[in-house]
Amino acid sequence: MNRRRIYSNWFMVPAMAIFTVFFLIPTVISLFFSLTVWNFDSFTFCGLDNFKTFFSDESLYSSIINTMIYAILTCVLKLVLAFFLAVFLTSKIKTKNFLRSVVFFPNLISTVAVGITFSALMHPTKGLINQVITTFGGTSVDWLGNTDIALYSVILTDVWKGVGVATVIFIAGMQSIDKTFYEAAAIDGASAWQRLKAITVPLSRPAMNSVIILSFIGGLRTFDLIWAMTGGGPGYATEVMASTVYKQYAAGYYGLSTAGNVIMFALIALMAFPLQKFLLSKEVD
Amino acid sequence: MKKRRFWYLFGDIIGLFIAFIIFIVPFIFMLVNSLKERKDANLLSISWPDALRWENFIEVFQANDYQIVTAFKNSFILVIGSVILLIITGSMCGYIIQRRSDKVTGVVNALIMTGLMVPAAILPTIWVLQRIYLYKTITGMILIEVALNLPFTIMLYRGFMNSIPLELEEAGYIDGCSRWKLYSKIIFPLLKPVTSTVIVIKAVTVFNDFTNPLYFLPGSENATVQLTLYNFMGQFESSYNLLFADVILITIPMLILFIFFNKRIVDGMVAGAVKG
Amino acid sequence: MKKRVMAAFLSVLMITGLIAGCGSKENGKTEGKGEESKELSLLVDTTNAANEGFMAIVDLAEKELGMKINVETRPTSTEGDNVVKTRLASGDMADLCVYNSGALLNSLNPSEYFIDLSEQGFMERVDDSYKQAVSVDNAVYGIPFATSRGEAVLYNKEMYEKYNLEIPKTWEEFLSNCEVLKEAGETAVLGSFADSWTAQIVFLGDAYNLMTAVSDFPEKFDAGEMKWATTPEGLRSFEKLEDTTPYYNEDYLSMTYDEGCDVMVNGGAGHWFIMSNALSAMYSLYEDMDMVNNLGMFAIPGDDASVNGITMWYPVAIYGNKNSENQDAILEFMEFYISEAALDAYCEATLPDGPFCVKDYEIPVESYAAVADIQSYIDAGNYEPALEYISQVKGADCPAICQELASGQTTAAEAAQKYDEDCAKAATQLGLEW
Repeated sequence: MNRRRIYSNWFMVPAMAIFTVFFLIPTVISLFFSLTVWNFDSFTFCGLDNFKTFFSDESLYSSIINTMIYAILTCVLKLVLAFFLAVFLTSKIKTKNFLRSVVFFPNLISTVAVGITFSALMHPTKGLINQVITTFGGTSVDWLGNTDIALYSVILTDVWKGVGVATVIFIAGMQSIDKTFYEAAAIDGASAWQRLKAITVPLSRPAMNSVIILSFIGGLRTFDLIWAMTGGGPGYATEVMASTVYKQYAAGYYGLSTAGNVIMFALIALMAFPLQKFLLSKEVD
Repeated sequence: MKKRRFWYLFGDIIGLFIAFIIFIVPFIFMLVNSLKERKDANLLSISWPDALRWENFIEVFQANDYQIVTAFKNSFILVIGSVILLIITGSMCGYIIQRRSDKVTGVVNALIMTGLMVPAAILPTIWVLQRIYLYKTITGMILIEVALNLPFTIMLYRGFMNSIPLELEEAGYIDGCSRWKLYSKIIFPLLKPVTSTVIVIKAVTVFNDFTNPLYFLPGSENATVQLTLYNFMGQFESSYNLLFADVILITIPMLILFIFFNKRIVDGMVAGAVKG
Repeated sequence: MKKRVMAAFLSVLMITGLIAGCGSKENGKTEGKGEESKELSLLVDTTNAANEGFMAIVDLAEKELGMKINVETRPTSTEGDNVVKTRLASGDMADLCVYNSGALLNSLNPSEYFIDLSEQGFMERVDDSYKQAVSVDNAVYGIPFATSRGEAVLYNKEMYEKYNLEIPKTWEEFLSNCEVLKEAGETAVLGSFADSWTAQIVFLGDAYNLMTAVSDFPEKFDAGEMKWATTPEGLRSFEKLEDTTPYYNEDYLSMTYDEGCDVMVNGGAGHWFIMSNALSAMYSLYEDMDMVNNLGMFAIPGDDASVNGITMWYPVAIYGNKNSENQDAILEFMEFYISEAALDAYCEATLPDGPFCVKDYEIPVESYAAVADIQSYIDAGNYEPALEYISQVKGADCPAICQELASGQTTAAEAAQKYDEDCAKAATQLGLEW
């Protein structure tokens, strides 16, 4: 049958119309303004000066490094935790429905609210986490104030909030695995660990790829949680690309800020597209 | 067999215990502190309050001239409008992209991937909104939310379409169904599980969105619930009790939604959501 | 077929439009009103909106002028800046806007958006040096929103008595006081750097010392001839901030400004580099005058014992929207806002944290003890406005740079260097040739 006749391109028009008007056009306009010194209503063309300013700024590099750490760590942690959580929550335990809801729960709270709550829990003197640590004889940690630790504290909070979605994706993937594989393996006498390695891991590969791509891109773009918890500080200790761009925008350096956006997009695209290609090629095998 | 049952029980207990510590304690923390007096709440301890001060919630309601009531109304309109539009446009688009793969859908696909990566440009977007007279209107805000959330929605629908066999449409086509009927009568009902997923995930995203309404929907009469939280942060910075009371108030609607759709979320998330 | 799809799409749009319509009906209320109704909107950040003195004036204005003032709040700090700039850019500013005076006003491009008040009679009442802080190119744009504040050191009198300390005249003496307190196990200096703006006070409050040593620094800095990193007196301000690092409370990077107020008023620390409006915030916590009066204020000491003066922080300003239809009502409100009656109402609602920037206005009540300390500097003529009210350029990232320095991640020289680069960005945006 003729695919073109059944599947009309017109069906894509509503989505693409909205997407174009409210996303693509503004993005293209911003490309132009990244080459200017721009205040509200007038601009002067300045060539690549904005990009030069950005690349001569030390803090850009530290923010890129922080972004990479953030994206990789949240991605890996979510991947591993969500995988085992999903294995656990697809087993025959009785409370799995309840536990599934509980794991997804943090996702319902807004980032700002999560930021407030965890800043309170991580308070160096009064915070609950430190109180528990000191009760058990440990020394308290300045979770958000210590410049070596702050970034990792935010990363852990991010994982807390985001692991639920990753788990759901994994659960969906595992549920679609044909039960007969497991039965056959059990008859062959494979141990639980062997079954996990030989069946569950390879067959939940598509789910795994979704989790990797989504949380990696999400990590590279991260902003809200960092802003709510540390504001990029202390100093620049938790500054990421998006918060650098945001600060330029807030300062009124619109040209500079859009240039930062362009750099950020280029970096993300440079990493995300090859990653996706790589993952998909693995999937086909 | 007995041994196995023991292990499952053991798993139940361990699972409940860890879930309690990691996921439930923060909520208890918020709840007890929202019911304390200001001074007690500022100690940030998880002890049970001496007296339950439900007045805190009333105070939050009354703050800024009952701003939270307006905010809830605005947020609901925003969420309902965006999710309906997302479902309709996203499912149509995802359906076509998955079913026909040629140059056009390839381009569309690539554009959508960029949507996942590029942060929205604020001022240019306002510029566009003003040209079409939608700035500061909820309609405009809805369309922005739709545009920003389409990529993920389309991905979900496209992924789910993988699991729907072609035979049904072929049969429908031979029976002389129009293209529109084919989609609306045959395909769309089959997409129900993924639609549930989209409803929950996107409702939560839009409801919890703070930055976009801050820019594209200014004005106190247009405030959304997240904005009230931000206003409270300035006003009540030293009053954790009211802050947490507000957090709880604005989490409840999504909690209710989640309880309704909880069991269906998984069904829609079919593997391969981001298949290229 | 195609038509049907489009029809379906359009009908959805219409439905959402209808739903949305219900929500946006009310929007019409605040817009497009004629002048006879005298309804004004005022955009202010949440922190300033909490100022009871301001609310008292608004209430009085509604009564006396028969106006309705719709106070709209916006977030503070970075988000707030964003909101103001975005709304100006999109032509959607409220009738009245509360925003910083000084260098930050420059970055708003005020001639495009705000009413020039230089011809208005009521501006005669405003202090000349404040006028300078709200002027750009000979046009004057704002009236003072609240009182001015000392940008200096709050100190704990009880502790000073207990350890036999004297008010330091030089930076060396100050540090040795801190050393005494530290050895005694007290918190010598309170840090509340979770609100990063508080980290700048040591640096910004040192302006008096810089200005007395290098009086042409602001001009030369604006002209790009002098830099912070290469001017020893300027670098000194950063060094002072660096010097304070060992004396802070353990949780100084996590403590917020509000928590700091609570600690300070309870006598929990020896010094706090802060602005004097913290006094009102402290008073509102316990409403106990004695607790607040246990605190005094002294200027950030210099290196010469004979030079001793305080840096004053000017209040934010109220600006009138040039493109609003309610010009007359805006001017009427502004005139009223700095009238004797309005200021009296302010003082009745909350005690002033420093002098008003209005000529010949005598504060009718006795305020906090620390405010008297500030006043004595002013009476002796030993004060200077903070640099941002004289210079055009203020780097936007100053809080983060100071926070980084005070937490020991950088040295004073590196911080000064960074701040120079930060200022260069601001200068580029302002179109200055550096």
